[in-house]
Amino acid sequence: MESTIWAKAHGATTHFPLALAVCSVACDAAGFALARKPVGHELRAAGYWTMIFGAMGTVPAVLSGLLMTQGTVMGHDALRLHHLFVWPAFALLVALGTWRLVQGRQAPPRALAAYLVLAGVAAGLMTAAAYWGGEMMIAR
Amino acid sequence: MKLARPIISLGAAAVVSGAALGFALAFGDRLRHEAARTSHQQPETDHWLEPVTPTSPALVVQGRRLFLGSCAHCHGADATGDEGPDLHDLQVSDRYIAHMIKFGEAHEMPSFAKKHGPPDITALTAYVRSLEN
Repeated sequence: MESTIWAKAHGATTHFPLALAVCSVACDAAGFALARKPVGHELRAAGYWTMIFGAMGTVPAVLSGLLMTQGTVMGHDALRLHHLFVWPAFALLVALGTWRLVQGRQAPPRALAAYLVLAGVAAGLMTAAAYWGGEMMIAR
Repeated sequence: MKLARPIISLGAAAVVSGAALGFALAFGDRLRHEAARTSHQQPETDHWLEPVTPTSPALVVQGRRLFLGSCAHCHGADATGDEGPDLHDLQVSDRYIAHMIKFGEAHEMPSFAKKHGPPDITALTAYVRSLEN
């Protein structure tokens, strides 16, 4: 097997959860703000599906990363900083995706507001992880 | 009844998230041990709270200078190994590298604790860490 296959797989898979999580937060926030308008319902539907697919997308991204680094869960320098953001983001995104899936499209407004805050935190953690991932690419 | 669904959802989210994280960490542990089994390096536990070692180009240059004086005759001037092992792309922690320089290993490598103090060891660690394949 080609030695760089998992590095390529990580690069190919890791952008989906990042983009979908950020998109989901943007759609949900806009849907929350425009709740009384018809477009608000559509935006929340987009936020729902992008979060579920984003959470699912974290699995191949994490597995390819582990295979690429031969199982390093923390590491050193930029890799360590990358992982310090990756693991909380992974756990939070899976939790939020699962909550959304089980809860369905309808949820109490207070629960949705709390969800939105946590989803914003998850998207921020993902972005920080991506930043340190990019730093490693530049360093090499 | 209205309250039951959010609680069930929260419980499911916590269980699935915990299981996913646990599986990922266990998978990583398995891969790490498998990789270490086929190399000369010993597997070690990741220390989650270990601080990141500060480094800079100047520190790496200083480490390189110290390396040529103390380490190159065993590890080779380019650190690819001679009597001692190749030091490129080590999968061990900074603390492990510093410990090895300071205390050495019986019948394998002498201690450099008397020759090099903590600032030198930090520079040497930064240099060794900068070596990549």
